[in-house]
Amino acid sequence: MFSFQTIIDNFPVLLGAARYTLLISVLGCIEGLILGALICAAALSPKLWLRRCAALYVSFFRGVPLLIQLLAAYYLLPVIGINVPALVAAVLTVGLCAAAYLAEVLRGSLNAIPKGQAEAAAAIGMAPRDVWVRILLPQALKIGLPAIVNELILLVKASSLVTVVGIVEITRMSQSIAAATYRPLEIYLAAAFIYLAINLVIAQAGRILERRLTV
Amino acid sequence: MTFSTTLKSALFGLGALAMTASGAMADDLADIKSAGKIVAATEMHYAPFDMLENGEYVGFDRDLFDEIAKELGVTPVYQDLPWTSILPGLEVKKFDFVLAPVTMTAERADRYSFTLPIADATVAFVQRKGGKLSTPEDAKGMTVGVQKGTAQEKQLEAYGEKIGGINVKGYGTTDEAYADLMTGRLDAVAGSAPLLNFLAKTRPDDFAVVNPPFGTPTYFGFVARKGEGDTLVAAVNDALKKIEADGRMTAMQEKWFGAATELPMTMPQI
Amino acid sequence: MMETLHRYGPDLLTGFGFTLLSWALGTVLGLALGFVIEIARRFGPRALGYPIRAYVEFIRGTPFLVQLFVLYYGGPLIGLRLDALPAGILGLTIYGSAYFTEILRAGFDAVPLGQIEAARAIGFRNTTIVMRIMVPVMMVSALPALVNFAIILTKETVILSMITVPEIMFQTQTMMSETFAFVTPILILALFFWGFIETISRFGRRLERRFTHYLIDRT
Repeated sequence: MFSFQTIIDNFPVLLGAARYTLLISVLGCIEGLILGALICAAALSPKLWLRRCAALYVSFFRGVPLLIQLLAAYYLLPVIGINVPALVAAVLTVGLCAAAYLAEVLRGSLNAIPKGQAEAAAAIGMAPRDVWVRILLPQALKIGLPAIVNELILLVKASSLVTVVGIVEITRMSQSIAAATYRPLEIYLAAAFIYLAINLVIAQAGRILERRLTV
Repeated sequence: MTFSTTLKSALFGLGALAMTASGAMADDLADIKSAGKIVAATEMHYAPFDMLENGEYVGFDRDLFDEIAKELGVTPVYQDLPWTSILPGLEVKKFDFVLAPVTMTAERADRYSFTLPIADATVAFVQRKGGKLSTPEDAKGMTVGVQKGTAQEKQLEAYGEKIGGINVKGYGTTDEAYADLMTGRLDAVAGSAPLLNFLAKTRPDDFAVVNPPFGTPTYFGFVARKGEGDTLVAAVNDALKKIEADGRMTAMQEKWFGAATELPMTMPQI
Repeated sequence: MMETLHRYGPDLLTGFGFTLLSWALGTVLGLALGFVIEIARRFGPRALGYPIRAYVEFIRGTPFLVQLFVLYYGGPLIGLRLDALPAGILGLTIYGSAYFTEILRAGFDAVPLGQIEAARAIGFRNTTIVMRIMVPVMMVSALPALVNFAIILTKETVILSMITVPEIMFQTQTMMSETFAFVTPILILALFFWGFIETISRFGRRLERRFTHYLIDRT
């Protein structure tokens, strides 16, 4: 028998764990955007070695499964003397990974901005840094918004993997509850619907934001 | 020296350098005392030792360690981690102490510092109620689940060779193995006697323990880092002896295992 | 090092075999299921649209790990009792189908309506129109996305280790817990995957060029 009671009983605990899911994905996305902008700048730089580094970064973080990246961060960082709490390690890793994808998103968006703008800005004497920060990035963020929102949704889902470094977010909590109640079907379905709800809200918020920005 | 050990010692050397640079001392007990808290990690999927009730960590280990921490005069902080991440996590100093019941084996004793035994860890089978096994030897040719990367897994494999073949299936947690036993994917699950007795006691309609245990007698202990964790282990051992002597241990054993058992007060031969 | 390799080498190879097997089957079956779903949505009764949409939204809105848990641990409660490997492959298939079907939809949408109308006018049957006109034309525009998603699926296979499919991640973890060596195996596994994915990406790009080389201008 499908037991709705099990779901109702454990729903508050699962929702509580969702805070970690949100924390990791939102912070990871912000970190990814900042780092992604830098990598994107490096990828478009006239200096060859910078372009090479950016390409290597993107290729590595997109080529290695996040689960392995998380374990590597967990085991390796302390060995080289960086011992941070699990939560910091998780956010850091998720963000590093997101940066690789977001760098590509930003690069795509920048391509859509007419070249003349940057040239005009340079012509009136704006410093290259100002051209980036004031002209190019704001527009790239706007053009890339749907893709960025999409990345945030991917991060919400990817955050389920941080269970391996000991953060009790939705998935780890649902594992524990499933074990204690012997009701895996109900609990995992409940967890799935919480993820779905979060992602539908993010998608909707993204659409509203998009409309606002294009007015 | 092989490449991997060289690389590792180089990396560890770097890490140690950074540790020293940040002013940390190589004595865990002193660090814990000055921090006023001890971070202990376990997988909270190991009833009756470690489990979650309504999101709250409970179990024999929790009760025992609350008392140990009281004796040490520090606040315990509990962390939930998958078993496969626990021993590596200890090595890279993600926490101070492994609160999970770790089966004492010679390989592990070479690498980590064990406390005195905290419970019996001898391995037995559990099956569905009314299952096919009447003695452990009946497991020949059957499919048996076990938690992967555990001493129980090794004992099961050795036992399988002895009786002429067992199809061993590894699981992330024992709970998953129990679940698969219920669904019929498995004929039995191998695990430590206290766990299986607790399972059969809480769910008498579903599970039955196959007596007697098949493995060689072993014990569970807690674990700290070798070297820098030795003083911590000594302090925990003193606390354990005190808890045993004043009857608190017996009360906890009765609460969680259903019966009190005598534990050796010296390190057993492993 | 050599001793460890000797002892665990065969297990690691077997693990990689399972990685490849679940990836290949997951991709092929996922693509097939995605194709069936898209055809049903396009040519089937209107009422099918909503359940298909719900299916796609559900699969794309939830983590693959949670889907696997529902399937593997929850499945038996509704009579779906699968071993880890078949459960993993089915999981990949379902997960893949939702993404593949969306890629195929976009691809089909890009087929010029005139071509379909022309085919219908000269009396082609629906099956012929789909297989002879729509699929070949669609493949050209959808191929990059299909290849890209197949590569994403490779990375998802490591998650199968969490339901004990004995693929390469699972084998590595077993090795780590038995040898107490944690740093080197994870590093090697990371480098291995990086190389593996770079290789298949390169192969994917070659495949793409072969299918699209006669397109003079794709923009």
